[in-house]
Amino acid sequence: MAAQGALIIIYVIASQGQAVLTGYTGLVSMGHGGFLAIGAYTSALLTYYFNIDLVVGILAGGIVSGVFGFVLALVFLRLSGAFMAIGTLGFAFFIGTIVNNIPFFQGRTGISLPSNRVFGVEIGDIGFYYVAVVLLGLIILFMYSLMRSGVGRAFKALRDSEKAAQSSGVNRWLFRTLAFSISATITGIAGVLSGHIVNYVSSEVYADIWYSADILMGAVIGGSAMLMGPIIGATFVVMVPFFLETMADFSYILKGAALILVLWIAPRGLAELIGRPFSRRRQKKLDKARGVT
Amino acid sequence: MSHLSCENITVRFGGVSACSDVSLSVKEGQVTGLIGANGAGKTTLFNVLTRFQESETGHVYFKGQNIDDKKPHDMAALGVTRTFQNINLFREQTTLNNILIGAHYMIGNPFSNMLSFPRARRNETKLVDRAHEIAELLGLEDHLDTLAGNLSYGHLKRVELARALASNPQVVLLDEPVAGCNDEETEDLKKSIRGLNKNLGISFFLVEHDMSMVMESCDYIYVINFGMNLAEGAPLDIQNNQEVVKAYLGEE
Repeated sequence: MAAQGALIIIYVIASQGQAVLTGYTGLVSMGHGGFLAIGAYTSALLTYYFNIDLVVGILAGGIVSGVFGFVLALVFLRLSGAFMAIGTLGFAFFIGTIVNNIPFFQGRTGISLPSNRVFGVEIGDIGFYYVAVVLLGLIILFMYSLMRSGVGRAFKALRDSEKAAQSSGVNRWLFRTLAFSISATITGIAGVLSGHIVNYVSSEVYADIWYSADILMGAVIGGSAMLMGPIIGATFVVMVPFFLETMADFSYILKGAALILVLWIAPRGLAELIGRPFSRRRQKKLDKARGVT
Repeated sequence: MSHLSCENITVRFGGVSACSDVSLSVKEGQVTGLIGANGAGKTTLFNVLTRFQESETGHVYFKGQNIDDKKPHDMAALGVTRTFQNINLFREQTTLNNILIGAHYMIGNPFSNMLSFPRARRNETKLVDRAHEIAELLGLEDHLDTLAGNLSYGHLKRVELARALASNPQVVLLDEPVAGCNDEETEDLKKSIRGLNKNLGISFFLVEHDMSMVMESCDYIYVINFGMNLAEGAPLDIQNNQEVVKAYLGEE
């Protein structure tokens, strides 16, 4: 149970990372699995060679992933829309191929990790679950702060109208790069957890492109511009194979259908759909208080 | 004294000249207008002045300083903002947020801002207070929590202006500010512009098709035709200028 819960949390964190870039800043990335891999391998290799604490692994994985996000932003500066989507997909393939083929990463054989230690204390499944919960809490707090800040406004402005954002003073290069870095860092942290939850990383997992799809779908189905969105979306994405049981191979048919359905009926995601009666009521109350019909 | 000006601007798209050797100057403390037929090159000039468009020849100046190398996002901090002809507001955001983005250059260090450090929070409060003041100035204080997408056209035009004022600009460029407005909305905007010009000393540059609005609001008017300077002067001089009348205002 704890392991299942931790898995959901990992996907939620990964999708929150996606949401920062795609939902809030409007830049499409189809390669976030790449950041998952970077986070996982950074921490795994450091743990394997230096037996580091999980906390150090999380920091290292996040930072290295963030740096990659920064570089990617520079590389894709001129691209947008479909071209950026293709470019980021290429990035995921690139990372996957590297970890699969370069001996240092031990490809499919994989890297086995010792039990996880947090601040020196060894933790098991339940302890790991609590670590994941705390991490999720910190990330959600951060995103709450980010989205209400001037930086968050700048991200959303770039999404809604780049020209208007620029004439308002938003440096599109700076804030694009910032969005990419933050997005990569968060998903990278999810990556660290994804390796340590099973104490094993192998390219069989991280070279698999479908993780990029899962992360993107988790964000979009749930609602990539709302804090609750990835929580709902990632839970759905993780639970589908679980509920299909023996038919788990058909998971992607269901997920794909769900994605199409959401984009058709409620493009802003399930979280927005669920929240509509509440926001309508709030708007009505505001109008009433102001005497507007 | 020239606030914002351009000299010898030439812009070509493919083989077509959008602007040929155009010069104009927005004088400090004045409302300067630009009129011309559709396709005369007004929008291109607008984009050159706001640095969205590079010019092949000539230069752009702010208070005498060459600003050719400035990027569009540098202009707000410099003191130059603009509105858009087709209202370019963030429809999914509240009026307040729309106005706040106009003050973007004042948010300070991005890191302390996004982590909501105490100083950043105090700064935010100041920005929100400013936004409230501007909203009040333009009669928008009751609509600050409304999503921009739900506002009437007249209100949208005012939010556009409010956003342009949020950064305490010295020069505001208005791209067809009363396009699509009814008489009442046009009068309101005219009054607002006059008031801001007189009371806050903001220099305005406006591109417009509504002739009465231009003649009544502007201290100085430039006329361009086929991408070139045709005439310039006070409204009365422009109205009496035979070439302008022939090319643009029509015989009456």
